[in-house]
Amino acid sequence: MKHPAAVLAVALLLLSAALINYRIIGLGYPVLATAPGKAWQVSMDAYVKTDAKEIAVMIGLPSTYGERINVEEKIHSGALNFNLLRQGPNQIGVWSGTPGAGEEVIHYSATLLIRPRRSSKIKPPELDPYPATIGTESQLLAQRLAERWRNLEPTARFQAIATTAKGVWGTPPPSEKDLQAWSEIQRKHERPLAFQTLLRAARLPSRILRGLHLVESVAMSPLTWIEVWTGQGWEKFDPETGEIFEKSVELLPLTLGEVPVVQVSDGALPEVRWTISQQILTQWRMHLERIIRSGRFLDRWSLFHLPQQFQETFRILILVPLGALIICVLRNIVGFPTFGIFMPVLMALAFRNTGLIYGLGIFAGVVFIGYVVRRWIDKLRLLLVPRLSVLLTLVILAFIVFALIGSKLGLREFMAVGLLPFVILTMTVERFFVLIEESGARAALRTAGGSAAVAAIAHELIHFQSLQLTFFVYPELLFAVAALQILLGRYTGYRLSEVFRFRKLRRSP
Amino acid sequence: MIWKEARYLEEGGILGMNRRNAEYIMAFNPRSAFPRVDDKILTKQLATEHQIPTPPLYHIIEYHGDLTGFEKAVSGHPQFVIKPARGSGGGGIVLVTGRSPGGFIKPSGEVISKVDLVYHISGILSGIYSLEGLEDRALIEGLVIPDPVFAAVAYQGVPDIRIIVYRNIPLMAMVRLPTRSSDGKANLHQGAIGVGIDMASGKTLKGVHGSLVIEHHPDTGNPVSGIQVPYWEKMLGMASRSSEMTGLGYVGVDLVVDQSQGPLLLELNARPGLAIQIANRDGLYGRLKRIDLAPPEIFETLDSRVAWARESFKTSS
Repeated sequence: MKHPAAVLAVALLLLSAALINYRIIGLGYPVLATAPGKAWQVSMDAYVKTDAKEIAVMIGLPSTYGERINVEEKIHSGALNFNLLRQGPNQIGVWSGTPGAGEEVIHYSATLLIRPRRSSKIKPPELDPYPATIGTESQLLAQRLAERWRNLEPTARFQAIATTAKGVWGTPPPSEKDLQAWSEIQRKHERPLAFQTLLRAARLPSRILRGLHLVESVAMSPLTWIEVWTGQGWEKFDPETGEIFEKSVELLPLTLGEVPVVQVSDGALPEVRWTISQQILTQWRMHLERIIRSGRFLDRWSLFHLPQQFQETFRILILVPLGALIICVLRNIVGFPTFGIFMPVLMALAFRNTGLIYGLGIFAGVVFIGYVVRRWIDKLRLLLVPRLSVLLTLVILAFIVFALIGSKLGLREFMAVGLLPFVILTMTVERFFVLIEESGARAALRTAGGSAAVAAIAHELIHFQSLQLTFFVYPELLFAVAALQILLGRYTGYRLSEVFRFRKLRRSP
Repeated sequence: MIWKEARYLEEGGILGMNRRNAEYIMAFNPRSAFPRVDDKILTKQLATEHQIPTPPLYHIIEYHGDLTGFEKAVSGHPQFVIKPARGSGGGGIVLVTGRSPGGFIKPSGEVISKVDLVYHISGILSGIYSLEGLEDRALIEGLVIPDPVFAAVAYQGVPDIRIIVYRNIPLMAMVRLPTRSSDGKANLHQGAIGVGIDMASGKTLKGVHGSLVIEHHPDTGNPVSGIQVPYWEKMLGMASRSSEMTGLGYVGVDLVVDQSQGPLLLELNARPGLAIQIANRDGLYGRLKRIDLAPPEIFETLDSRVAWARESFKTSS
């Protein structure tokens, strides 16, 4: 551990881990970059029919808030004008104007991204005063009713209150008179408000929300629920049924507070229908949408901010060091012979356009043709640079022939041959020839086979989508890759190939 | 199972490529000393300064303009060798054994015209045979007439003796015998035979050809083992001094035995291969570790180094 290389490697590993941790904990990245996030498509269609000349329809719309991100909104307003109104936490769409022929169809749709839920530090809310419309007498009644739960924990208190929606009060039940008065309040003020009063009396902060249940469904009217602060987070229940929603139930609020989801100026409620469907959003898109909206330093310096066509390049490039790491392992630990050090990685990159099988085939073909010609050229005793230039010309000629054959046969892979690294191919031809001359055909073929195998492994790795995404989201993983490369640089043990090479010399008991 | 095999290798004292590179070459061979072994002219000059015999240097050709002086330089020498200074694997070496009206005679009896030979040298200067393709120099030196001691087990070519030296202590040696399949070259990769040498006595052990252990030369059929290498003690001393003069801690020293001049230093290698272990059926790592544990005083004089090595690396057979 005292070796500086080991210290550096550990430092790089720690740096990498620290940055990843910061992204996950501080910036709320998903633990697995490839974990599927959920995207929902919420559409609203409203049919407005009126005799009035002027009409205004106000509908609560989902907003980007907390773990929700509104990715895309589409609005269709027909002959009406559309305005977005912000009322406190609410985002209200206002369609106003004269409907054509007394009726109009308005449409709104949004794609929402739901980030994986994680406990975050929410500031505990203040206990608000009683709702303004509730009189002193009702307040006193609520306080009297809440008296029975005074000694319970907030969560238990909340559960007990929610259960009263089912008429269960526990023993002893409140007096008949109080219960009657309570029913009266519920009738007069609507149930949610009555419950908010009772919760206030029990000193539990609460809020009324209206919105939709995020399941594949069609809803004709929004849902109303009450969220209650129990100290750790907001618990939800339905004031009509007393049902307490599980944490896993996803609700999409459209309005907060005593604001109806749909309001119409002349009172004639339009026919409104919400359609909710789950959507498949590519993982790339989800990360992009989230990061692009963040103002945090690491997010602003994310690769996702690059223009799309450059991002494509980096998706591949970011895995090249990993390919190099594989080469380190295969060469220094396994003992694979390869032409050049990084030639297989460059081959792997090039096979993107031709595919692995065609790529290797074309490569083998060009090297073989190159070898035959190089063997013949050897008699001419050409100097190094002109000799390599001749081989380069030959390689390009071979490309042209392959492309032309490809076009005649309609093989796209052959036509993409031009994207193979011709310089690498030229050097490979030269190295292949020298190796055959110096060490014989067997050694040369073994090296060629080793190169092809490493290229195939590197190709599969570099084009592995999930890995690309992981590295793209967490580029600091490259520090960890560098750390492993450094550690491999200090590996002085035997190569696997040497175990076989020196097998006869081993001293076994 | 693999781990177990690797453990056996370690117990056998086998040196692996990774350890050789990291713990011996990188640790003991300073980069700045590499040119002294990579350039045969520099090696020769250094050896001359240190009174280590090498084949006599006749001439150095550095620029294309010097090519005209070539004929004059070899005029007094009926036999000579042309080599690229920075060549590798024996590429670009031409042996001349005599003259004929048409030009120069090669060992095969083939005649090469003067124009062709000058063109060949021009190629050397342009770097055809230098590994990096850099411009090179050509040297013309005396032809080695191999001592007949290995005549029965060498197929053409010149057998040479490779001695590995660590911290100026010779620790392992082998004779490299050319075969028909190596085309007269003394390179194990190319099919030459490696025959281990007992450090104490200088007698040859069994040989390795490819991956086979052999006792007889595949072409001549004569036994390769039990041959006494002449001038053994002197050679060990030359190897030790060659290593000392380069400043390299881990080096392969290649020597030849000339019929009349005795042992000559041919070239040095800063990255000597590992096959010598198979030829000796013993590991380098074990011997390297023993050198590190040797008492400091044995490093002091040439005689003590050679004596310690002969005593310590005796092959018990």
